[in-house]
Amino acid sequence: MKDKKFSLKNPALQSILTSLLCIVLGLLIGYIVLLMINPAGAGTAIKTILLNFLSRSSQAAQMKALGNTLAKTAPLLMCALSICFCYKVGLFNIGAPGQYEAGACIGLYAALAWHLNWVICLILAGLAGAIVGAISGALKAYRNVNEVISGIMLNWIMLYLTNMILSGKKVKDPASPYTIKLMSGNKGALIPSAGLNALFANNKTVTLAIPLAILFAILIWMILAKTKFGYELKATGYNKEAAKYAGMKEKQNIIITLAIGGALAGIGASFLFLTGYQEWSTTQTSVPMMGFNGIAATFLGGLHPIGTIFASFFIQSITDGGALINKSVYPSQISDLISSIIIYLCGFVLFFKYALNTWISKRDKGGPNVNDVPVTNDDAKKEGGDK
Amino acid sequence: MDAPYAIEMVNITKRFPGIIANDNITLQLRRGEIHALLGENGAGKSTLMSVLFGLYQAEEGVIKKDGKEVKINNPNDANDLGIGMVHQHFKLVQCFTVLENIILGVESTKGGVLQMDEARAKVKALSEKYGLHVDPDAKIEDITVGMQQRTEILKMLFRDNEILIFDEPTAVLTPQEIEELMEIMNNLRAEGKSILFITHKLNEIKAVADRVTVLRRGKYIGTVDVATTSKEEMSRMMVGRDVNMVVDKEPAKPGDVILKVENMTVASKMHSNNAVKNVSFEVHKGEIVCIAGIDGNGQTEFVYGLTGMEPLVDGKITLCGKDITKDSIRQRSKLLSHIPEDRHKHGLVLDYPLEYNMVLQRYYQPEFTSGAGFLKRKEIREYSEKLEAAYDVRSGQGPITIARAMSGGNQQKAIIAREIDKDHQLLVAVQPTRGLDVGAIEGVHKNLIAERDNGRAVLLISLELEEVMNVPDRILVMYEGEIVGELDPKKTTVEELGLYMAGAKRNVDIDANTPEVEESEVIDTAAARKEEK
Amino acid sequence: MVLLLQYTIIFASVLCLVALGGCFSEHSGVINLGLEGIMVMGALGGAVTMFLLPAGTSKIVIVLATTLFAILVGMLYSCLLAVACINFKADQTLIGTAMNLLATAAATVFVRAMNTSINPDNVSSSIQYIQPKKAFLKYIGNFEFNWFMIMAVVLLIASWFVLYKTKFGLRLMACGENPQAADSVGINVYKMRWAGVLISGFLGGLGGIVYITAGVSEWKFEMGVAGFGFLALAVMIFGQWKPTNIALAALLFGLFRALSNVYTGIPFLKALNLPSTVYNMLPYIISIIVLAFTSKNSRAPKAEGIPYDKGMR
Repeated sequence: MKDKKFSLKNPALQSILTSLLCIVLGLLIGYIVLLMINPAGAGTAIKTILLNFLSRSSQAAQMKALGNTLAKTAPLLMCALSICFCYKVGLFNIGAPGQYEAGACIGLYAALAWHLNWVICLILAGLAGAIVGAISGALKAYRNVNEVISGIMLNWIMLYLTNMILSGKKVKDPASPYTIKLMSGNKGALIPSAGLNALFANNKTVTLAIPLAILFAILIWMILAKTKFGYELKATGYNKEAAKYAGMKEKQNIIITLAIGGALAGIGASFLFLTGYQEWSTTQTSVPMMGFNGIAATFLGGLHPIGTIFASFFIQSITDGGALINKSVYPSQISDLISSIIIYLCGFVLFFKYALNTWISKRDKGGPNVNDVPVTNDDAKKEGGDK
Repeated sequence: MDAPYAIEMVNITKRFPGIIANDNITLQLRRGEIHALLGENGAGKSTLMSVLFGLYQAEEGVIKKDGKEVKINNPNDANDLGIGMVHQHFKLVQCFTVLENIILGVESTKGGVLQMDEARAKVKALSEKYGLHVDPDAKIEDITVGMQQRTEILKMLFRDNEILIFDEPTAVLTPQEIEELMEIMNNLRAEGKSILFITHKLNEIKAVADRVTVLRRGKYIGTVDVATTSKEEMSRMMVGRDVNMVVDKEPAKPGDVILKVENMTVASKMHSNNAVKNVSFEVHKGEIVCIAGIDGNGQTEFVYGLTGMEPLVDGKITLCGKDITKDSIRQRSKLLSHIPEDRHKHGLVLDYPLEYNMVLQRYYQPEFTSGAGFLKRKEIREYSEKLEAAYDVRSGQGPITIARAMSGGNQQKAIIAREIDKDHQLLVAVQPTRGLDVGAIEGVHKNLIAERDNGRAVLLISLELEEVMNVPDRILVMYEGEIVGELDPKKTTVEELGLYMAGAKRNVDIDANTPEVEESEVIDTAAARKEEK
Repeated sequence: MVLLLQYTIIFASVLCLVALGGCFSEHSGVINLGLEGIMVMGALGGAVTMFLLPAGTSKIVIVLATTLFAILVGMLYSCLLAVACINFKADQTLIGTAMNLLATAAATVFVRAMNTSINPDNVSSSIQYIQPKKAFLKYIGNFEFNWFMIMAVVLLIASWFVLYKTKFGLRLMACGENPQAADSVGINVYKMRWAGVLISGFLGGLGGIVYITAGVSEWKFEMGVAGFGFLALAVMIFGQWKPTNIALAALLFGLFRALSNVYTGIPFLKALNLPSTVYNMLPYIISIIVLAFTSKNSRAPKAEGIPYDKGMR
């Protein structure tokens, strides 16, 4: 009993519990929507969404489908890391889709027009994303422009710019709105599989991108938790004024953070487009969902880079699962609906945790917890007064 | 039945987790008296007033109005009972006019349209009657703190409140403005209003109050008549022992010049004038120099300019013989330690654990960061433990306590420990005792004097007259961004200091052509432009 | 040229309405980044109403019912923001973003389900409203006058009046500037903030239906409203949270947005031979530039974005 109590107070476990609660509630609402559309198949549909690849019949098909999901998890994870990293520094990087677009644009252009090797394409994609991120950062640091609004604007600007650049003769397939397939355009730009595809029923889209993305997650976690750089960035995020007082270059830190976030999203784009999984459609008129789903993965992952790995897989899995349901009855966007409900519910995480802690302390009822000693009344007043 | 008390709070008890904020407190306010509520920070005055205002509900005890028991569940109930309050931090909307602020919440409308003329007439009449002069159509952000306070008083009178509460109303005023306020309070009493005056300043109680109730650490100590009780007795009731008002220290032995400021000018964020104008002075090794002044006369900007948080418009700063005018904050911090004015805004990263806050100025040094850029967690922990022990910083879980969960006094101790322990020649301490209780204040003053005796230069920026008179070896008075006086604390009086702080007197001529400020002007513009937090 | 004027005015109407919505919400102290989503929901409410009204319904009924439902759905949807951010003190940025995503997803799901239920082969997320849309239009010469234009002007004047001349406006702005002060004089901050958010739902929902009927007669709900809610926020910031300035800013932005619809009809622009994507990007680029120059000294309500907690006085 005592052990259990102790563990419930563990913040990591609390994060996992609240995330699970968000998932359950999100799925429940999704299920209700399915019921309202057509009660007959709703059970099967929600099962399909949840099981995704497991709903395939043969084991080979399952592995292949899992490969596809993993292939798309890699870019999603990168976008989520981008948002997670920036959020730790107090910035809401909703410009991730724009940075992702920039990465796709330059990555594909370098591959198809300049015939460069995949490593270089990857780096260029990261740089492109970093530049777009840095623009938001500079606007925030020097012109006080809210990064959310500049991010959204840049998402649209980059969408049209990417469409324009990738419509060029050297990169676009003249017969379709898509860019030329890398298989035929430049095989050297495809991220190598290094034998990983063999594990997934020869799914060619399973590449080094997947382990690389996980490595990035670990790297981001290390930077944030263990390094001087992470110490500075988090201090800036928690309290910009204190960071300035301590001699940190808070403006520079804002720009660097969004540039790193941009680089992550940019590389994320090449983790999709340089695997040959799909081509860029130059006529698309909406910002790719990838960046926005990253928000869901970030918050569902408890704002922890490692948690983000699992959350990204979950979000991608239900998105793919959504594509498998009976489309003549149910819209596949039901998955988007579920993930956006999950994001919305993530807004209540603090409240959930508060409720949980209140419940725990009520149950314990013993002497007052030393941690909970309130700041004296005078102090609370002051805090309220100066924001 | 004609009860003698306008309001009574009987046997009030209010608990918070781990603390009894009010322990069986009784407060009885007679009709038409000025009743002082005396106590240190944390004595429970604020909590008691919050109970009276319905912000908190007391667990035990009753509130009576004119002898009848009443329930006060929220501020509206309090308003309905005719209770009004001037809060310590004014509850005014900066971008509204005085009139708009006064009518807010009790607006009269005709067909949905605000009727301002009627209200304006009533406000003008009230201003006349009580001598509360303020322009009803001026915006709050453009008027002085004194006028803002008058707006708050008008707000209560406009609502025909009978019971007026003043929560530490003099903290932000010049001595002259304080005198005017006392006059106003006397007028209000003469008109039959009952006044509750919360303060920890004995002189003011002596000046206006009829009776005083004293609280200490959440407990009721007693209610006495002011006329028959000496200041010393009241002081003893407040702190529970004889307070040693004089700080123990040896005479200073000033050495070489450490800090030299020449013609420093810093821009203001609030208005187009410069906040600091042409300031020059020196601080020597082994002395404490205090910059005194009313809040908002350029002290904050001066410190920003000195520590590198704001660029200078003009001037030169020399620290230990080195020109640091263009140096970054970090470069300056090698020689300069800075205890900031606002510990929550600047001094701490509240969401970081204590140990991370302890190295906030030093985290990048090889002692705490390896060559590869990784933090040395073990060294940070040990260092934090060392400082906690040396400076008696108390917290729930030691180094891993989140700073936010610590008490204000311990937060401040942590900052002082950090700043004093790091290498420095000059310590800039800005209001280092703000919001601390008497015991903690004494400790801070000892720290400052030890610094001095260890051969450092100390620059203290303070608003508290007692501190200004007792701690430093030299006083510089800042008024409207200028140094207007240099005084010897041993030879000057509080009254004289007040005149300098209000700009009515100066003994440092920066520009011989500047005409002497006329006294009548002084009163209105003093304490102008209180810094918006 | 008439076409340019017409598009400028109609887009300016949208921006003005939605920016005013943002203005009410922010004056009450809540940053409404979910305006985009509110527009989508308003558009959905209006479009579905037009789609479902039987042919032959009188024009006035179409206009009133469509407007009413757009507003109603917008207001209902804005409750999501109000509950989360006012009562549960959730992160306003996160909730706003979630609402934008949710609106597009929910609208798509709804329209698809509706379409498939009518015709199992129809899996599109579009609604057509060619006929009912005509109820809103009146031709004055070549100029296609739209009743929504009048509504925008009326609501603009009403907004100005409410904010500056009424008790409600005074109290609302007090809550956005200094909620502690408002509370101390007995104003219920939560209620006022709810009111601010609901009004932004009203105006945002209306803006949504105006947007999707401007120029087109069919809307694909997968597209959302293409960042228009955010353009409106830029308009609001450029207009410094003041209705009159917002109206002027909306006209400017409306002009740039209109260009992408009609540049082919303007000989001078056509001669420039720029790719159409340049015109598509234009409003967004302009807004970034404008924000870069106006955000520094903004007069934003002081307490916006900070959840009000009664305990923290």
